[in-house]
Amino acid sequence: MGGGPPRVFLAYDITKNPLNNNDWSFPLAECVHISMFAMSVGTIALVDLRLLGWAFRRESPAQLLKSTSLWTLTGLIVVITSGFIIWTSDPLRYYYNGSFRYKIIALLFAIIYNYTIHRKVARSATSPSITTVLTATFSLAIWISIVFAGLFYAFT
Amino acid sequence: MSIAGDFANAVAKMEFFTALRESGLPYPIVMSTHLSSIAIFGGAILMTDLRILGFAMKSMSITDVYRQTRIWKRIGFCIMITMGILLAGAKLDKYYDNPYFQIKLLLLCLVGVHALIFRPRVYKKTEELDKAQMVPGVAKAAAWLSLILWVGILSMGRWIAYYERPGEIPRSSTPVEMPAAPP
Repeated sequence: MGGGPPRVFLAYDITKNPLNNNDWSFPLAECVHISMFAMSVGTIALVDLRLLGWAFRRESPAQLLKSTSLWTLTGLIVVITSGFIIWTSDPLRYYYNGSFRYKIIALLFAIIYNYTIHRKVARSATSPSITTVLTATFSLAIWISIVFAGLFYAFT
Repeated sequence: MSIAGDFANAVAKMEFFTALRESGLPYPIVMSTHLSSIAIFGGAILMTDLRILGFAMKSMSITDVYRQTRIWKRIGFCIMITMGILLAGAKLDKYYDNPYFQIKLLLLCLVGVHALIFRPRVYKKTEELDKAQMVPGVAKAAAWLSLILWVGILSMGRWIAYYERPGEIPRSSTPVEMPAAPP
């Protein structure tokens, strides 16, 4: 990819973005982003806690997945949309940031994982086993790493 | 300077908080942990409130959802508060007169009031809620207020970073310059 930034960014003037032109829109977008991250990751974490055998033991993981999936999906849609809006405030700065790059790659991976392996295990699991423990631990680890990367962006 | 200001300065000057503030890695780790615990705590609170309101987890009783999530609310809350105290202490000299910080503390006090009012009326009576044909208004009010309070606390927390003390040099509002192309 040559030396410079991708060309598509060069024609885009960030100083015209409303996020950079008033005091409230950027923090507001962040608040939506954080609330919805709590909803999506929080509901995924509940399923993970069930897979670990640490919560909702009277419910099957499949039932818990069914009860939370709408909220997880809604949260993911809004968190990604608000994240995209935040990104438009300064795309190149994010583009060159290592934490941000990790975050995006890990996010794509985590979403695919959540709707393939994680879902399959949650649907078929009955009692905690080595498979469910590994599935849940990996899920918690990758989602938390994404939260950390989001914050470390500001410190790197 | 006011008593509050003296106190805030004294706290922020403490060796422990100075070390934390000036540390490279621990400070953002504390902040990230503060944020991650919001997911555990928030997810559990959200599901309980949504269950009371009849929006989610309807295959389970309110009692079940409340009891099963309780320990995770407590664990999440303890981590969140501990990390929050560390973050606040490290920069208390900058935060004490920050209106968003003050509103956040006020809302946290209101969470205590919420518990005093609604714990005996709603959360200790979940079996009655499950037996009732319709969830009573007081329970719904408790759930809505809980959601509003926590979203408010989260939002004020984020807004703390955007306050500038009058007379202080404002942070540059222009975006950072484009970095040079990597070699």
